[in-house]
Amino acid sequence: MATKEFWGLVRQPQLLLLLLVGPVVIMVAFGLSLDVRSILRPSALVVVEPGSEGAELFERFRGDFTQRANIVGTTDDLESARRRLQRGEVDAVIAVPPDPLGAVANGEQAPLRVVYNTINPVFGTRVPARSFALVLELNQNIVQASIGQGIGDLRSVEGRLAELARRLEETSATAQALSSEEAREATAELDATLAALEGSLRALRAAGAGEEGEVSAALEDVEAARSALDEVREAQAEGVVERTGLSGLRSSLDSLQETLSALPDDVSPQILANPFRLVTENLATPPEVVGYYAPGVLAILIQHIAVTLASLAVIRERLGGAYEFFQVSPLGYGELLAGQFLTYFGLVLGANLAVAAALAGLLGIPVEGGYLRMALAMVLLTVASLGLGFSISTLAKSQLQAIQVAMLLFIASGFFAGFLFPLGEMRGPAVVISYFLPATYGIRALQDVMIRGQTVSGFDLVGLLVMAAVTLGLARYLMGRKGD
Amino acid sequence: MEGLTRSFGKEQVLKGVDLEVEKGEIFGLIGPSGAGKSTLMRTLTGYLAPSGGEAEVLGRPPSEFGPKERRRVGFMPQGFVLYDQLSVRQNLSFVAGLYGLGFRERRRRVREALEFVELWEHRRKAAANVSGGMKRRLQLAAAIVHEPELLFVDEPTANLDPILRRRFWEEFRALRDGGHTLFVTTQYVGEAELCDRVGLLSGGELVAVGTPEELRREAFGGEAIELVLAGHPSDLAGRLKALEEIGRSVEVRQEEGGSGEPESRVRLLVDDADLWLPRVLASLDEVAVRSADVPKPSFDDVFFRLVEKTTRAAG
Repeated sequence: MATKEFWGLVRQPQLLLLLLVGPVVIMVAFGLSLDVRSILRPSALVVVEPGSEGAELFERFRGDFTQRANIVGTTDDLESARRRLQRGEVDAVIAVPPDPLGAVANGEQAPLRVVYNTINPVFGTRVPARSFALVLELNQNIVQASIGQGIGDLRSVEGRLAELARRLEETSATAQALSSEEAREATAELDATLAALEGSLRALRAAGAGEEGEVSAALEDVEAARSALDEVREAQAEGVVERTGLSGLRSSLDSLQETLSALPDDVSPQILANPFRLVTENLATPPEVVGYYAPGVLAILIQHIAVTLASLAVIRERLGGAYEFFQVSPLGYGELLAGQFLTYFGLVLGANLAVAAALAGLLGIPVEGGYLRMALAMVLLTVASLGLGFSISTLAKSQLQAIQVAMLLFIASGFFAGFLFPLGEMRGPAVVISYFLPATYGIRALQDVMIRGQTVSGFDLVGLLVMAAVTLGLARYLMGRKGD
Repeated sequence: MEGLTRSFGKEQVLKGVDLEVEKGEIFGLIGPSGAGKSTLMRTLTGYLAPSGGEAEVLGRPPSEFGPKERRRVGFMPQGFVLYDQLSVRQNLSFVAGLYGLGFRERRRRVREALEFVELWEHRRKAAANVSGGMKRRLQLAAAIVHEPELLFVDEPTANLDPILRRRFWEEFRALRDGGHTLFVTTQYVGEAELCDRVGLLSGGELVAVGTPEELRREAFGGEAIELVLAGHPSDLAGRLKALEEIGRSVEVRQEEGGSGEPESRVRLLVDDADLWLPRVLASLDEVAVRSADVPKPSFDDVFFRLVEKTTRAAG
């Protein structure tokens, strides 16, 4: 028995070829075609006003953008960018506000608007996820740079204070010197330095940098020093020659310097403040996962049933002898094909309309575009799939061979028709294969109708019609040729 | 058909067949498996185009048949090619539809055809549940349901028991009597006897064509008359001379009969035994003729003789 089975298989080289090479070819094509980089870095168009602070900010932090997305270009026209998004030329549009720091200065977060267009609730999360990461990164880097600068300012102010205190002491050494020009300059500089220091410390406190108590203590010391300095400056203004208030000022500055030196040099510029807030917008409304996959399942089901039934139709009649009987009868090849086509068309369409109704009724699958449009998409897909099946049937040498091809088409559709993986992530061979699968057009058409509420696109309509015409014509031609 | 040839690749299956079938006859095409019978039939039905030569059926080359000519032709393939899951009547109704019969006519003809092949009682049974013989009869009913003038029947009795085979031939004769012309292929050489005319096909060549009797005469050079004479007549030599003037060859064997008495067995070959037997008996006047017989050799013998003769002639 084993020997018989072995030789039976060996003597069917075409079947062996299909069994062994078919799946390998599919897997190789899949491996060559799935572009993971596209999933990790969606393509994005940046909308930014030229010469604006936003543009400067974008250029300064471009690295953050390119790390999260494949930036295909910049534009200042948001509407044209949205149209490109609608056409599927890019995965996202990132709108950088023209005056982000101005918004921050007004106590508001600057909105970084990210617009995308997907109905896929699984792969569709990549754009908002990458956007969230981008904003987080941007916020960190911007504040990191600002606070880093603030800490540097703090250290230079500390030295400056010591220098100014020394100058004030020297110029005030004589009785008249306190109101001297040099002493006045020193107190004015000291005042400006203390004001700057106060600003830096307040910023640090607001950002939560450093120990809360130490920054507040430094601020209190700054306040005390400014109060003492006010007294000295009042005395200078009145022409008082004694070293009025100088000792108090000195004491306050010493205390401040001590507090400042207590602040650690390695204050981490980790940012808790978020100058940017993420605003995302999806042009489509993604359904639940089940709702998203339902049109795909329906399309694959239609194609598989239609191809399987039709692929057996002609070969079964031919091998069973009925074909010869038909050919002697007045029945023409076209009539023979039409008879089989009509039967399977009614059967496949009827069964799948019932499945669609059950999905909608029981599982709440959306049919946003209405049942009529959905039925139109199903009709087109059924016709094209039957045509493909009949072509296979006229070419096959055995029923097993026909079934094998139908199964390979089923597997290929899972990988290359946009069912499991978005077609947009596919490159090379997969794109070519996808053009020859009715399910490619069918899945997209049913998703457009059922989820987006649109009508079947011109591309899918023409694609299915061309496929139906070519495959049915081929089947008719090959049927006629068999009789010669 | 004239000089009809058909090749598959380099293999020539039909090698210049010349044949004419008369209207209203049963023409039997006889030959062993692989002789080219089915190929010849497929060429005549238009399923296969000839590679060379000419064929005309109902006044037109079969490869140019349109629906009109096809309605005048019936075809019964070798095996059962209808549908097991359909009932006997549904199968026949489907075939009637193929030939364009309207609803009423279809009902009438389905019934008539099923009654003709005695399957009306089984009309509701699924084809899968009827016997092999019934399936063949259903296939025959499918071939005649549209009342064709010309019926092609491809090995209808293959693998059937003798009773069923006889029944089929009775049906064929009834069809012929009803005005149909039948072109029947068979590998049972003996069935040639049941045809009006027979063609012997061997290796793609038509070895002989004629009525069964004509073929017999052709195979053996005439018909034999066998006589058993009592004793050994003294003037037998003279009488044999007279017989030689009547027939082509005379053989004499003298031996003892069953009762131990001597007897002479004479075998004489003539053109037409029925015609010449009275004259032979008359020439043996006063000789005790114990028996006179006109033996008919089996068609197997006829077939082998004819094939042998053709092979020898081809050299």
